Amino acid sequence: MNWNSNGKIILQETVRGTVTVKTKCAPGFFGNLKLEQGLGSFAHYSSIIKNVEAFEAIAHKKQGIVTLSLKEPDEIVGYCVGWYPDPDERWSSLGELMYEMAAIEVSRNYRGANLAGLMLGSTLDDDFFEDKIAYMVGFSWHWDLEGAGLTASQYRNKMMALYSRFGFREVYTNEPNVALRVENLMMIRVGSRVAAEDQKRFRYLRFGIKPPK
Amino acid sequence: MLQDYPKAVVTCDGTSLLLRPAQVSDETALTEFFAKIPEPEQWFLREKLTDPEQLHKWLLKIDQRFILPVIAVREDNGSIVANLRLYRPAAESLRHIAHLRVMVLPDYRHLKVGSWMILDSMKLAMDLGIEQLIAEFIDGLEQAAIQAALKLDFVRQAVLPNYVKDRQGKYRDLIIMVRNLQREWSDF
Repeated sequence: MNWNSNGKIILQETVRGTVTVKTKCAPGFFGNLKLEQGLGSFAHYSSIIKNVEAFEAIAHKKQGIVTLSLKEPDEIVGYCVGWYPDPDERWSSLGELMYEMAAIEVSRNYRGANLAGLMLGSTLDDDFFEDKIAYMVGFSWHWDLEGAGLTASQYRNKMMALYSRFGFREVYTNEPNVALRVENLMMIRVGSRVAAEDQKRFRYLRFGIKPPK
Repeated sequence: MLQDYPKAVVTCDGTSLLLRPAQVSDETALTEFFAKIPEPEQWFLREKLTDPEQLHKWLLKIDQRFILPVIAVREDNGSIVANLRLYRPAAESLRHIAHLRVMVLPDYRHLKVGSWMILDSMKLAMDLGIEQLIAEFIDGLEQAAIQAALKLDFVRQAVLPNYVKDRQGKYRDLIIMVRNLQREWSDF
């Protein structure tokens, strides 16, 4: 089966009109799209993804996922992307067991319409994840605290509430970026077919320790 | 708030620990834990939880609105190696703060167990909407804990000179350390 063939489409009403949430957008889908103005660079915050070409690159990755929130005809108002960890990341040592929910963002102009929940939920609603430890890392320096009007700890709680809805739970790690600030977090969702031994390997890896034989 | 417990931590020697809230059923393991605390340190405990009877009463009266006790349990044998308590005042005017007290068995103090416990308490406090954590340490006795707190961005807020007296009658300073948990965008 083609990786992108089981993508889903959901329509969501917002105060700014209907938004289409589309999962697993395939390579070639992004050419005529543009980022809505509430995504981008602001005085104290920049979007993780700053141009549409980045989506094309993610969709080309092996089992890369791009889920978009689209305001017809051509505006991207939110995105959720995922991929296997890069080879230079600690988590890549467990191969394709690990899958990173790498970024999720909604335009400042479209927040409060549950687009993040819809994008995340529809992306994770895939049997693919039952063999994976899906993980997210939240770094407070990426968060739009100013736009959200929240403190870092309030924003952290908001992130935890969002991911918890889909079976994620917080775990601890000494990975330097996560450990740098107390607000930072790592959350995981362990697929139903992930073996106990693999979970143990991941636990030790979180602390940079070889598991006992 | 507590749904993510137990939380696993692996120490640098490969010991797997589970951090979780203490329960009444932990009484036996807690009794053993407090019995292993060196006698000179027992002297400074504000609650005599080394006394099994007092420990029993204390466990029964735990109200998580005001006290959150978290323990670190060895996964292989179930023994408790560290204990941290978050105390939240009942007064509305002080609900935004919490005091923490942490105790780690000597054999585990070089394994950063205390650091993980304090970090866990900070995250738990943030989940509860607490704005400031306050820790008190006895100068000259709890240097490892002070260092752990400094690494986690606690700052020395005050020193109460000659505040506590040890068993030999010698006065010691009490160091009060504070950690602000509510950073805004302008703090970054």
